Amino acid sequence: MELRRTRRRHSAISIVSLIDVMMILLIFFMITSTYLDLNMIPAVQQSDTPVDQPAPPNADRSGATTLLIRLGADGRAHVQGKPLDLDALGALITARLVDTQGLQIVVLPSPRASTQALISVMDRATKAGAAALRIVRLEALP
Amino acid sequence: MKLRRTQARPQHETVVALIDVVFFLLVFFMVIGRMDATSPFDVTPPVASTGSDMPGGGTTISINPAGRLALDGIEMATPQLLTDLTDAFKRDATLVVRINAHRDTELGAVLPLVSKIEQIGFSDIILVVTTGAP
Repeated sequence: MELRRTRRRHSAISIVSLIDVMMILLIFFMITSTYLDLNMIPAVQQSDTPVDQPAPPNADRSGATTLLIRLGADGRAHVQGKPLDLDALGALITARLVDTQGLQIVVLPSPRASTQALISVMDRATKAGAAALRIVRLEALP
Repeated sequence: MKLRRTQARPQHETVVALIDVVFFLLVFFMVIGRMDATSPFDVTPPVASTGSDMPGGGTTISINPAGRLALDGIEMATPQLLTDLTDAFKRDATLVVRINAHRDTELGAVLPLVSKIEQIGFSDIILVVTTGAP
């Protein structure tokens, strides 16, 4: 008996619908995408020493290794009562870092100051070479 | 003389190249573009030039200038947010908490929240910034 091999028919699948779906997805992602280049600044890190932990015994308690920056409600930085713009603040931090090894920057912001003001101060301090920066805030006792 | 009109043959142009291009663009926008679903309100992060690359994963808290809060795109009040974060911490103690505060938000709405999140036990809390011009 002779068996005839049935010829396989090429089935033509339309890809028009595939292209339609892809185009819709493409336009959706194009419209809903935003192009902000987002970065981050650590607020709390695993390596941070808890504030309530006692200072090491050899720590200098004179305050000479600490630079306190007060951040006013208007967003201006004040050091020892003197208002400083960001450039002057950067220069001051750089000069203090030359004099003092391990200078710790402490920022005391006003609750009315904007987030941008705090980030700008932190940004400038980091640019100036500060490695240790803490933010403190005053809280009323219950 | 009888001129025979040449029959227009349907051209079989390949659409493979088109599909390739569309697929490429689709993947590009899916990967590069950020879906703005992490906050139900408009949040423009503060500008910083010394920010580092943001780690993947984690949970995002959005704060708008009026102090409204949202956790992963769902607006909620502070007690509910802290409850949800406490539950999240029980599930994963290494979770990264991203704080996406609008640049005009007063620190009185941001810093106390950071303290409360730290009190829950989270040890990785980051502030979202952008490198764009203000």
